[in-house]
Amino acid sequence: MKILVCMKQVPQKDAPLKLNETATWIREDVSYEVNEPDAYALEEALRQKEKHGGEVVVITSGPARAQQVLREALAKGADRAIHLEDNAFVGLDAFNTARAFAAAIKDEQFDLIFTGLQSDDYGYAQVGVILAELLGWPHATIIMQIEKTDAGIKVKRELEAGFFQFVDMPLPAVLTIQSGINKLRYATLIGIKNAKNKPLRKVALADVQSAIGNNLQMIEKLYIPQKTKNTEFIEGPPAEVAKKLVEKLRNELRVL
Amino acid sequence: MLIFRKPLEGIERPQMPADVVIVGGGPAGMACALRLSQLIDAHNASHPDSQLSKENIYVLEKAREIGQHCLSGALLDPRSMRELLPGFEKEAPLDAEVHKEAVYFFTEKHQFKFPITPPPLRDHGNYVISLNRFVKWLGSKVEETGITVFTGFAGSELLYDGNRVTGVRTDDKGVDKENRPKSNFEPGYDLQAKVVILAEGTRGSLTKQLIQKFDLDKDSNAQTYGVGIKELWEVPSGRIAPGEVIYTMGWPLTTHEYGGAWIYGSKDNIVSLGFVTGLDYQDPRVDPQHILQSFKQHPFVKKLLEGGKMIRYGAKTMPYGGWFALPPLAGDGWMILGDSAGFVNSARLKGIHLAIKSGMLAAETAFEALTKDDSSAATLRNYQTRAESSWIKEELWGVRNMHQGFEKGFFAGMFNTGLQMISGGRGLHARYPSTPGYEHMEKLRYTDPSGAEEPQNLGPAKGDGKLTFDKLTDLYHSGTKHEEDQPAHLVIHDTNICNSRCVKEFGSPCQNFCPANVYEMVDDANQPFGKRISLNPSNCVHCKTCDIQDPYQIITWVPPEGGGGPNYDGM
Repeated sequence: MKILVCMKQVPQKDAPLKLNETATWIREDVSYEVNEPDAYALEEALRQKEKHGGEVVVITSGPARAQQVLREALAKGADRAIHLEDNAFVGLDAFNTARAFAAAIKDEQFDLIFTGLQSDDYGYAQVGVILAELLGWPHATIIMQIEKTDAGIKVKRELEAGFFQFVDMPLPAVLTIQSGINKLRYATLIGIKNAKNKPLRKVALADVQSAIGNNLQMIEKLYIPQKTKNTEFIEGPPAEVAKKLVEKLRNELRVL
Repeated sequence: MLIFRKPLEGIERPQMPADVVIVGGGPAGMACALRLSQLIDAHNASHPDSQLSKENIYVLEKAREIGQHCLSGALLDPRSMRELLPGFEKEAPLDAEVHKEAVYFFTEKHQFKFPITPPPLRDHGNYVISLNRFVKWLGSKVEETGITVFTGFAGSELLYDGNRVTGVRTDDKGVDKENRPKSNFEPGYDLQAKVVILAEGTRGSLTKQLIQKFDLDKDSNAQTYGVGIKELWEVPSGRIAPGEVIYTMGWPLTTHEYGGAWIYGSKDNIVSLGFVTGLDYQDPRVDPQHILQSFKQHPFVKKLLEGGKMIRYGAKTMPYGGWFALPPLAGDGWMILGDSAGFVNSARLKGIHLAIKSGMLAAETAFEALTKDDSSAATLRNYQTRAESSWIKEELWGVRNMHQGFEKGFFAGMFNTGLQMISGGRGLHARYPSTPGYEHMEKLRYTDPSGAEEPQNLGPAKGDGKLTFDKLTDLYHSGTKHEEDQPAHLVIHDTNICNSRCVKEFGSPCQNFCPANVYEMVDDANQPFGKRISLNPSNCVHCKTCDIQDPYQIITWVPPEGGGGPNYDGM
């Protein structure tokens, strides 16, 4: 199986974020890491390859720093990488990102495309689904398990409240992978060393410019939530207080 | 039951040959790698028939990314960088050139400015930097040369053949709390190296193993340390100019403790401030993080920070025992650099430029070893000779007795420093001795139980959440993260001492000196004094204070699973 894994570099969790001058995104002086769901997507692709043979290709878009996620993927066992390298890719919406990816892989024949379920920064969960639409392929989201069948694949999707759905799908297909589907591997010294000599194809903005258009989605304003604190005393006999407290936790705060 | 990290036994380990392995990607290690690459390039250009390869030269760095565990004030004396990369100022991330400095003596409510800045603290021409960003940049230069930097890998053990160091074992990954391999277990590699270069920073864990194995410090003064607690602040504009440098002595310390503070103005209204507390105080209740919080409440500092926001926190020890505390720098198969050796100028409070210089000198020696194909002590000791005939010695010799002069307290220290300044560093004795700092700690019965004399330094700080912070709030701002399911990397060799002696004798000072709340005494009715030691290893900011300061010397800090630790962005 030939599998493409779409990966994204996102600001590190817990990084202290500051708004940029126009308050439309954050200042870039933070540390970055691999988007966590994408790490699970990569791991799943590597496991499928180990079972069924084939090739794992990783793709990302973003400035030079984004290459780090490709290097990590190559070190863990991906065979080659594609980097859509330009700062402008950071500002693309999900539709345009998917269009850029589709243009960059137009000469390739993949059996499967994996993305993480969503990105830890924007959280749109759209690129994979739109990409499937652009390619005219079927897709399934929130994947917890993948099995190869004679006709294609059988996948397990996570639904609400502990329910799962099993779906038979033909190939090629796009799957968005749920975090926790597997246990991530570590990169090894030899893997890191060998990654240096693996092919990495760079795609410039100009190469895919004709495929993308104006963003359909725009961030108007970003703001840091104001923390508020409100103390309320519930008085009365203990049994009554407990009852009221449960009511509040259940209906107002919705934590029960 | 606490289970501690140690390399798994009886497993097969991947082997990897190496020419040179540099353990630690800080200023010393990166400068070493870069210089080595320059020498190899020059050699290859003039020797077409005997090319040297950089293929098997490696840097191991335990942080997930280059520079993430680097913390310093920091001021950079550009001397060694100008030798390493002439014109480096044009491209290195330097935040401001120092143009103004002042030294103050603090009392609780007032401050007295020294009429002249003592010569060692004159910093014109130095640069305010973020060591984190600087090392990131230096590391990118190393990666451009083709030398491989393995980030997220720590050295867990040295490999020996008899008395010769033959390599480094990297950390086992994917080991659970009980020291059992998990499904994604990856054994540490055995890097079989011709030359092992230890550039682990302060109190290096492999360096400690090496020093103990060969009793390397038998002729040296005891190394002395301070712990620097740092906060990075963003303040309203106009409070301090970029490149303005302030040092303070005195309050909140009393005459019993050694230490002082720095305040550096950086660009974009960022202020670096921190307090170095000497790890040779007497009262076991001293809490260095609390000292920094008290320092910020001084009217002078409060005025500077008011309305600002704390953005990062961190801690790191620094060795300032000086020239007489250096161990031998090289032997069969090994060399020791930078803070691991103790290259810090205690009078100038600077070590980065010395770390870089030591890295360059070690690189010259490693290059010699590669070309001669001889990495025995006979060749590698040339690094020692190089250091002794370089300006490193010149600079450290002048302050060789500085810190020892303070062993008897602040006033004796000032007296000795004065004498040393007019006698070229000698003072009253050719060589002032020193004793390990932890030996100065006094048992609880000797100290005033009320703590009335110096409550500003003792026990946990409460914090108001704006100007001052409790430890956990500060810790949150260090960005520290570890894999939770792994054995404790703070190896306590005998927890009975914690539970049945220390709690009574010293009142468990680990809870106070650790700036990251790693150590906790929890209730346990089965223990003689009702308390039992408990660890929060995931909080650890890798400062090494516990390894240095525990009065029984039963704590050994070993690296946790590579990739874990603080995130010192911008520090």
